[in-house]
Amino acid sequence: MRRNSPPALACWLLESVVPAPYREAMLGDLIEEYSLRVESTSPSTASRWFWSQACRSVPSMAWSWLRSRDCLMSMSIALGVYIVMEMSQLAANLTIARLVAPEPKTDVVLAPVVFLTRCAIGGCVAARIRRGAAIFLALMIMITAAVSIDLRLCTIPVPWWYSLGFFSLGPLAVVTVPVVFGVRAPGAAEPVK
Amino acid sequence: MKRGELLGPLEHIILLALAHLDGGAHGMIVRREIEERTGRNISIGAVYATLERLEAKGYVSSFAGEPTPERGGRAKRLFRVEAAGKRALKVSEQTIRSMTAGLKGRWESI
Repeated sequence: MRRNSPPALACWLLESVVPAPYREAMLGDLIEEYSLRVESTSPSTASRWFWSQACRSVPSMAWSWLRSRDCLMSMSIALGVYIVMEMSQLAANLTIARLVAPEPKTDVVLAPVVFLTRCAIGGCVAARIRRGAAIFLALMIMITAAVSIDLRLCTIPVPWWYSLGFFSLGPLAVVTVPVVFGVRAPGAAEPVK
Repeated sequence: MKRGELLGPLEHIILLALAHLDGGAHGMIVRREIEERTGRNISIGAVYATLERLEAKGYVSSFAGEPTPERGGRAKRLFRVEAAGKRALKVSEQTIRSMTAGLKGRWESI
């Protein structure tokens, strides 16, 4: 972080939840005020102020976003990507069963690899199509994993952390892989430098 | 303003702040104006969420300003009160005045 640049994580947080019409204006206002506060107080005080504004703004902006059409569109795209992901999982399972004919133990090893790969690809596709769609996709995967754990769909005895890995690492891959590889929807703003 | 539809507390305060800042103001100026006049430290998110709602109701309008380097190359969005917003303020003021009439004596005793 440069001396006069606002906290990058707080900026990312706001960029993720602020609805499109006011995203640029609101972030611009915060960045301008941050620069003024850096000059009049200190960078650490200004950063604390920026973080407090970001954290306190998230609930109202998230609520506003949830009520907007933008949110419905993101949910629809996430659902579409999720269906394609499920179909690809089914195809992968059939292919593995036919070509590799895995033993149950092999399946236990291969399943997380296939799962995380499809989560990462699905997250990138959703993030490329529309901002915010990856967050809904992560939520859908989290719910599916929770339901699968609850219904004990895995017939092979596995340790508790194995199931927890599907619940936590899958959604995490959906959200973080697009950020790591810089995948974003066309027209989305560049991260604040 | 539809009959029976009243401004929410924050909508009311933000419309009044915009009325004070005649000619157009951006969200941070509105936030600062409210803080200076009332001492309330409102988040910028709450200000913009309310401004969005007021714009959807037709009480305020907005226009884009020029992007500046101090804002990380981001343009300002300036808001101003429209005629419908002024009418809504008037109706709210009248409603509050009617409802508080005769209460002054009781409040002084609290």
